[in-house]
Amino acid sequence: MENEGRRKFLGVCVAGATACAAVAAGYPVFRYLAPKSGQGGGAKLVIPAGELKEGDAKFFEFAGSSAVLIKTKSGELVALSAVCTHLGCIVQWVKEKQQFLCPCHGGQFSTDGTVLGGPPPRPLAKIPLTVTEGNITIG
Amino acid sequence: MLKRLYRWLDLRIGVGEIVEKELTGYLLPRNINEWYSLGSVLLVIFALQVITGMLLMIYYVPDADKAFKSVTFIMNEVPFGWLIRLCHAVGSNMMVAVLILHMLSTLLMGSYKAPRELNWVTGFTLLALVQGISLTGYLAPWSQLSFWATTVATNSASAVPLVGPYLVEFLRGGKLVGPPTLGRFFALHAAVLPVVIAAFIGAHLFLLKRTGISAPPFGREGTATPFEAQQYHYQGHPGGIPFFPNYVLQDLASISVYFAVFLAVVFFWPGMPFTPDAFVPADPFKTPAHIKPEWYFLANYQTLKIFPSELLGLSVQAAAMTFLALLPFIDRSPERHPLKRPLFLTLVIAGILLWIALSVWGHLS
Ligand code: HEM
Ligand code: FES
Repeated sequence: MENEGRRKFLGVCVAGATACAAVAAGYPVFRYLAPKSGQGGGAKLVIPAGELKEGDAKFFEFAGSSAVLIKTKSGELVALSAVCTHLGCIVQWVKEKQQFLCPCHGGQFSTDGTVLGGPPPRPLAKIPLTVTEGNITIG
Repeated sequence: MLKRLYRWLDLRIGVGEIVEKELTGYLLPRNINEWYSLGSVLLVIFALQVITGMLLMIYYVPDADKAFKSVTFIMNEVPFGWLIRLCHAVGSNMMVAVLILHMLSTLLMGSYKAPRELNWVTGFTLLALVQGISLTGYLAPWSQLSFWATTVATNSASAVPLVGPYLVEFLRGGKLVGPPTLGRFFALHAAVLPVVIAAFIGAHLFLLKRTGISAPPFGREGTATPFEAQQYHYQGHPGGIPFFPNYVLQDLASISVYFAVFLAVVFFWPGMPFTPDAFVPADPFKTPAHIKPEWYFLANYQTLKIFPSELLGLSVQAAAMTFLALLPFIDRSPERHPLKRPLFLTLVIAGILLWIALSVWGHLS
């Protein structure tokens, strides 16, 4: 009986020490492998307004993801996420039709991001932008 | 729960039989000592080198333009990157040190004698291979230290008659150490040598299983174990202590002691594997003042320096290595107790002192 208790106590001690060691070794390895979070998040991006002609689109990286800036034929500026809301492909700009086409499953979006056809369930996310003295500030 | 899982496995694949044969029924000599646990320590160290090496490969870039930057990035930016790299760099040094201890213990207890010649030969090859993996890994960070230590090391091959200069060029993949050297060294370091080492470890253990473990020559009457078998015979130890749980406990104790020393170096002496030149990127146009190899190559380095001709220095080392590698075939007396082998013991001690003296001299010169 006495022995049983001692055996159990030692067993618990060994298991506890092993668990501590596993955490002490596992935590650094997890942190080492974990991707850097918040890459460039919150950072604003400035694009000179002169870079974009009417009816053109410009793709760029924003907050660790892909985004697009378009100047419609009427001269309106819109910034959208370029990530298709269906399965995450990057949409293409079809200049002739003045709309976006997703090459993966044929999703179509208008210049303001609304779905015109295909499987995408939601419109492309809008990104706020301001124009000051010929500079477009995104974010 | 565990018991049920065990029974489930046992009913299907007969684990109980394996446990009985390899663990609880695997009997070791009653007078077995701590030195026999160094092999297990070495297995753990090798596993740790493989794991930390794989982790380093995630961020390390084996390209001469990027290698140094990537290692700096691992050290300064990646969370716990310093820890992983230090474990790898310190671990490689510790592995060589423990290998030497393991070798000395089998040497002094005469365990290399018949029928265990092949255990010694495979073990000796492992020592050479581990030195090789360390030498090739040393170039990886592409620092001044890496670059010039590799220049000096590869240069010593030029003393080989006739083919020497071509051999150096072949090793380097060019006339001088450069980006092609990094390519071949990294392939050797991370792809070829780990596999070859693992294979030799397998052979080493297989031989151990076939011959059976030796009984230490201490604390018993007859210490000479003549080998006169007329046919294959496994040396068992009836009435010995079981490997599990008894000797596993010793293995774990030794592994814990190893970790205490290893982690003490990692945390309190992190500069151990480095010199100031390790923190300067490689510059092929600027040789730093004092380029020394790692501690375990200092004796070789000094030997090359004291002989008037490089060829002589190299030959002496080759002869010494060959002698050590073939020791079991040269020393054939059955006696295994070191105190009953005064000439042998004197030679071993003289050899160790000579090695230490050459290393210290190499370090100071
Ligand atoms: C599969 C096994 C291994 C892999 C994948 C691997 C991988 C690597 C990598 C990527 C580096 C470069 C990063 C750095 O310098 O810290 C490196 C360096 C190094 N490795 Fe390995 N390695 C392995 C096994 C070993 C072994 C068994 C040893 C020696 C016993 C060893 C000794 C070294 C040394 C001495 C360095 C240079 C360390 C330094 O100065 O930073 N490696 N290894
Ligand atoms: S991912 Fe864009 S339509 Fe499927």
